[in-house]
Amino acid sequence: MNWLSSFWVVLAKELREGVRDRKALITALFFPVLGPVLVIVMLFLVSDSSRQADEKGVAIPVAGRENAPNLVALLEQGARVVDAPADPVEAVRRGDVPVVIVIPPDFGEKLRAGQPAPVRLILDESRHQARPAAATAERLLAAWSQQVAAQRLVVRGIHPAVIEPLAVEREDVSTPASRAAMLLATIPFFLVMAMFTGGMPIAIDVTAGERERQSLEPLFAAPVPRSSLVLAKIGASGFFGMATLAETLIGFGIVPLAVPSTRIGFSVQLDPEMLVTTFLLCLPIVLVAAALMVIFAARARTFRAAQTSLSLLMLVPSLPGMALAFQSARPPAWLYAVPFLGQQMIVNELVRGTPLVQSQALLATGSSLVLALVVCAFAIRTFERGQPLFDA
Amino acid sequence: MIRLDAVSKSFGDVHALEGISFEVPDGQVTGLLGPNGAGKTTALRIVYGVLRPDSGVASVDGIDLSADRIGAQRRLGVFPHAQGLYTRLTAREHILYFGQMHGLSGEALKARAAELISALGMEDIADRRTEGFSQGQRVKVALARSLVHDPRNVVLDEPTNGLDVAATRQVRTLLRQLREQGRCILFSSHVMQEVSALCDRVVVIARGAVVAEGTPDDLRRQTGKESLEDAFVAAIGSEEGLA
Repeated sequence: MNWLSSFWVVLAKELREGVRDRKALITALFFPVLGPVLVIVMLFLVSDSSRQADEKGVAIPVAGRENAPNLVALLEQGARVVDAPADPVEAVRRGDVPVVIVIPPDFGEKLRAGQPAPVRLILDESRHQARPAAATAERLLAAWSQQVAAQRLVVRGIHPAVIEPLAVEREDVSTPASRAAMLLATIPFFLVMAMFTGGMPIAIDVTAGERERQSLEPLFAAPVPRSSLVLAKIGASGFFGMATLAETLIGFGIVPLAVPSTRIGFSVQLDPEMLVTTFLLCLPIVLVAAALMVIFAARARTFRAAQTSLSLLMLVPSLPGMALAFQSARPPAWLYAVPFLGQQMIVNELVRGTPLVQSQALLATGSSLVLALVVCAFAIRTFERGQPLFDA
Repeated sequence: MIRLDAVSKSFGDVHALEGISFEVPDGQVTGLLGPNGAGKTTALRIVYGVLRPDSGVASVDGIDLSADRIGAQRRLGVFPHAQGLYTRLTAREHILYFGQMHGLSGEALKARAAELISALGMEDIADRRTEGFSQGQRVKVALARSLVHDPRNVVLDEPTNGLDVAATRQVRTLLRQLREQGRCILFSSHVMQEVSALCDRVVVIARGAVVAEGTPDDLRRQTGKESLEDAFVAAIGSEEGLA
């Protein structure tokens, strides 16, 4: 019996058992729905809130409007001025309103006297969602301040340009579209989660599960190379990971159909070609994921311990991808050689419609294949020492 | 034929086997007898190649397990202490799976599986998934899968453990049949009745070493005891771990 045929025999058996495993099947069938559904829902939410913002402008609560009608008039040009809540500080702290401008009663008096007129800007820097409103408020206040300063200079016969050494022209290229694009950056995260989650029940079942059911010893007494045994187990887990990944990609393929591009203001690049490219690009890390899970599960003491350790293991490669949603600077080239991260960065670009950069793809694929070899070799060594059976 | 030659095995500080040597000839049932913890399972695990000895040589039909594990395992039918089954496979699928791993395939394998199923009287459970099988049913499946490739040598670790009387008798009958066919049979037990009912030869081990060896009659003669049980106690020097 040669190596390859024993590999196929074991692989066929593990897959047969896998498709009869309801838990594994449910995971493989339902996890893929999660990512696309979340993205679709969030895209709708984002497009709704940004549409509101675009139509009516940012709402800025102002307390003491009557103290500075001129200032309020300028604010109204750039935002929607609304009444401030009774306790502005507490309201901002709770996040009820993003920002509050408080104009004290002595505002007009100080202004007329030519002294700096006090204005309180209450904001919470730690609130991500509050930033745009706070920035708008600051910008409008500065603009008004500048306007008044210029008038005062003109009155004194000085050209306002004198106090304006810089002519900063602010051009905000952020649109609802780029906000939605940030959401799409979660796609690589979901892809990595899919390949781990899909293969996990199988990886545990064929190692810790077999030991717990005591079927590993008869298997080790069978005349097959241990390397074919472990690679078949990795293969079975990888197959489920691959299937789950493919389903997730198909799910994301539905996103542009479910959310019309007119609604989110840009076209999402999730066409079949991009999806196939992504799938092929991810295959090496599917193998790495499966092999890692088999090693960790084989070394876990019990079925439950294996579940815990694999859930933690899964976070390690998927979290850096999550950070992509917030990264702005162009990443250094060597980062593409980091398995999982490289693929996630490339997919992140593909989603935005950037064409595939061959050197980046080669770097990510090459390094991942090397890692796959190393991890598989390590798994083989673990099994050849009989470790899954006795040293757990 | 199975041979162990000065085989030692330690797990950390525990010396499970200390230079154990014995031979299991063809056409006989050899019982490996010893109290719990004597090293029976360790010795058998070395014979069927899931453990490697620290020193010494274990061989099956002259094939050294350290040099050619797979070659030796092909000649072995193994019924380990733990007879875990795959709960999502049927009894027949178990037999087919192990047959395939032994290089069998196609019609020959199917015919062999059917033959074993009828020989062990398990037609009624053959195509049921093994989830919820009784201990007796599980033992039958485990026996069938260990014999699927018609091995010359059969190793069984406490095969009648947890079986009822009927199933125990069935296993004994099977072992006698295997002996008639000229096979080499090694089985371990700590149950005296079992050994005296079945064995042509007995190897008594205690604390990782062989303390007595021979036919049951030899053993009684050597120790000057009437019953095999007394002989056994005399051989191992204590009553600990007996049943």
